[in-house]
Amino acid sequence: MLQAGQNVIVFDGGFGSELERRGLYGIPEDLNITASEEIKEIHRAYSCADIATANTFGLNRIKYHGAFSIEQIAKQAVENARASGKKVFVDIGPTGAMMEPLGTLTFDKAYEAFAEIADITNDIADGYIVETFADLYEIKACILALKEHSDKPVYATMTFDATERTLTGSTPEIVANTLSGLGVDALGVNCSLGPKELLPVVERLLKASDKPVIVQPNRGLPILENGKTVYKLGIDEFEEYTEKMLDMGVSIIGGCCGTTPEFIQRISRFSGRKVNRPVIIPKTVINSPTVLTEIDGVKICGERLNPTGKKALKEALINENYDYLTDEAIKQQEAGADLLDVNVGLPQLDEKKVMPEVVRKIQEYTDLPLQIDSSDPAAIEAGVRNYNGIPLINSVNGEEEVMARIFPIAKKYGAVVLGLAMDKNGVPRTAEKRFEIAEKIVSRAADFGIPKHKVMIDTLVVTASAEQALVRETLEALRLVKTLGVKTALGVSNVSFGLPNRPLLNRTFLSMAMTCGLNMPIMNPLDGEMVGAVRAHAVLSGEDENSEKYIEAYKDYNSAVNSSAPAAAKKEEKTASTLYDCVKQGLKNHAEELCEKELAVNEPMYVVNEVLIKALEEVGDLYESGKLFLPQLVASAEAAKLAFAVIGKYLPKDAEPKGKVVLATVKGDVHDIGKNIVKVVLQSYGYTVIDLGKDVPVQKVVEACKEHDPVAVGLSALMTTTVKGMEETIAALRAENCKAKIFVGGAVLNAETAKKINADYYTKDALGFAKLLDELFPANK
Amino acid sequence: MNFSELKPSVYNYLGFRSVEPSEETDELIMSCLAQLEKAAQFNYLYKVPDTIPDFLQKKPYSDFLSGTKGVILCVTTIGAEVDRTIHRLMRTDMTKGVVFDACANAYLEAKADEFEKKLGDDLTYRFCPGYGGSSVDDLKYIFQLLRPEKIGVTLNENNFMLPAKSMAGIIGIGKNVKKSCEGCFMLPHCEYRKEGKRCYKQDKT
Repeated sequence: MLQAGQNVIVFDGGFGSELERRGLYGIPEDLNITASEEIKEIHRAYSCADIATANTFGLNRIKYHGAFSIEQIAKQAVENARASGKKVFVDIGPTGAMMEPLGTLTFDKAYEAFAEIADITNDIADGYIVETFADLYEIKACILALKEHSDKPVYATMTFDATERTLTGSTPEIVANTLSGLGVDALGVNCSLGPKELLPVVERLLKASDKPVIVQPNRGLPILENGKTVYKLGIDEFEEYTEKMLDMGVSIIGGCCGTTPEFIQRISRFSGRKVNRPVIIPKTVINSPTVLTEIDGVKICGERLNPTGKKALKEALINENYDYLTDEAIKQQEAGADLLDVNVGLPQLDEKKVMPEVVRKIQEYTDLPLQIDSSDPAAIEAGVRNYNGIPLINSVNGEEEVMARIFPIAKKYGAVVLGLAMDKNGVPRTAEKRFEIAEKIVSRAADFGIPKHKVMIDTLVVTASAEQALVRETLEALRLVKTLGVKTALGVSNVSFGLPNRPLLNRTFLSMAMTCGLNMPIMNPLDGEMVGAVRAHAVLSGEDENSEKYIEAYKDYNSAVNSSAPAAAKKEEKTASTLYDCVKQGLKNHAEELCEKELAVNEPMYVVNEVLIKALEEVGDLYESGKLFLPQLVASAEAAKLAFAVIGKYLPKDAEPKGKVVLATVKGDVHDIGKNIVKVVLQSYGYTVIDLGKDVPVQKVVEACKEHDPVAVGLSALMTTTVKGMEETIAALRAENCKAKIFVGGAVLNAETAKKINADYYTKDALGFAKLLDELFPANK
Repeated sequence: MNFSELKPSVYNYLGFRSVEPSEETDELIMSCLAQLEKAAQFNYLYKVPDTIPDFLQKKPYSDFLSGTKGVILCVTTIGAEVDRTIHRLMRTDMTKGVVFDACANAYLEAKADEFEKKLGDDLTYRFCPGYGGSSVDDLKYIFQLLRPEKIGVTLNENNFMLPAKSMAGIIGIGKNVKKSCEGCFMLPHCEYRKEGKRCYKQDKT
């Protein structure tokens, strides 16, 4: 067989248009059985290609709901494709369902669907062509399933649009780094655009990895002509662009929508031609689905998602209060972190179970790539596997057993791995000894097939208070390790333990380390002086060209007011002098400060009843009379919510001035904007909200009611189809004798429907909900 | 895209009716639209089927399509990044999230209208399953025919399209019909009409 990457391989072309040309309609996968001869005919027409693609694009248990079993179709489809007399690749398309968190398809469910195909076809197919994927997470699930359930080659392509991004926002570099990291045999792009429009994407893919690149373009862009959609690109032009792509270094070529056997016949003349691929210089890169971070110059790794020494984070992890964690992640991103460390190591927790959950939650709210940090290899693997993209692993060290357990994980998932320059004898006292261990780590990594650019070294910080003389050994080791051609990291803040004015020592040490070649300080990005030192270093080392980033960060710097921390966002023009006005105007930036001021002169409950509630009532009246609109109502509610949080600190711990409310967007429904507005408005009225999220299973609502004993349950559904889910949830709550009042809301509901599905109340908006609650439970007011 | 032309439609989605929006709201809308333009990935997939699909033979589609020469089926989206941005804003800055959401609705409509102008003059407006008493369940037929996963649009088991900022529709060829209140699925509950306001130039088509 032709070797991908060495000789040009030609794939076949569009299948859908051939089916239509032969008047074959219906579910394309079923046609493998119902029109087997015609399908074979198409494959024969494409026998000019080196590889035939079986007609299995939509064949997975999530998408396919036709007349036959998946096994029946898969086997017949492969047999049909054998009519070409060529190698047969099974075609694997996306599930057609949206992955979490935007949709409801889980990583594991997607994985199972693809694994099923691999189990059925591994023995009869010659390889897999994974194509037309839009979502990086789904294609990761697919590639893992194929690699773990088959030993055949896997070629994987995604669809890009004119913005040069996949349809979920990944750039060519992100796709190339992720797919090559996962060990595909070829990666590339198919469908969506014509060959001409795809050139920029192809160019970027070729530069971003050394894997063979596969391109299967459409026959140009479709045009509407005399009431028909047609593809107009001529064969000559298609051939011309194909040749151009091959000259650029593409290895595998074929066609997608609109291409016919005539097109493939023409380009089949390139088959076997020697691939001429320019050599690329590999970089140390990690990525999320939308952000690629090259570890070069100095990149800040945020250290705050590590419970060691952080009481509030410990509590949050134990109580599964992941909102706290995602808030920390968002804060670090806003403060200038380039990636975030994630560590969930607590004796009370099953790290292997918690790590993937936390990783998914954090990825839901930040774009930053993550560093999966654990001493437990199983937790590392669980985190890395469920991570969307290519992460950094923290860490291995020079111990043989540790390397033997971690390197295979790094290799399998394409992760970059951080090696600590120590071994079972602890941290060596000299720079030379640490360098030796670093050398060993880099060389053992290579034995596991992990190239140098996927390894980083931490030369280890000791505390200056205990081992003052060793601080310079750490720095010297940095200099030595750089000669290995790897990137470096240090947990900078460790240097100052046990000494006063720690920030001063931290930033001084940071500056010294950057001068010695530190690439990735693991530090607190909320320390503006530290971030400032990194920015200043980038200017003085020449990394920040024309000081652009520095100037952008400090253009509003005022020596009288500012420290060297980056300037905060522009001052708000509007201000309020009282908490009442602040809530009324929805100025959330001032709410906490003004609330403290108010509490200095008034009792907490007075502030609640006479200031917050009164202000909200006025806002509510204005809203109801149409003098004030949704954004302002939400802004007021947000300001009031912040004030309530401040007041909460002054109230006795067990006091709940108002009751609890359980909120959920019902099973099957993923619209949660309305529910979120209800949440903030109820919170602004002082209720404690237990938010179960969207697409909430019936049982989860029932359990939450048992656990929290709320005064009310609020259920939301946006569409007629999910009112059904609402009805079932209510029936289950009634069956369990739920005492809470059941409120329903959402675009398609009204009082009549609410009654029909056995709800207690319907309110048309968030404000109505809050007001009715106050009426129903006046004692709480 | 001209942002100021979009603003009235954003106001509509936000529920501004008789009152002028404040200067701050206007600024927020403009900043959301600028951010939206970067995040959005507009894609439009369409197909002209050889024969009119069965589901379009029933009412109200048959009424809508009477007198037309053919039909265009379409699915359009502004992409998953927009959904993601809204999801995150609802957490970090809900006021902006609400405004961004409204901007995304207006932006998608405008982009789709703009694209459809290129398809020809002699077309009806985009009739979406759910309008005029039709069922959103019919979306599945459009999905079977178009396979819009090619543009990253999915349909879940309850017939929701995801990314949420997506639309699927039916356009009649050979008959120029503008959208009116009559064809709007919100007609029975329309808050605007109660105040004597109208979204469209005409009540009936």
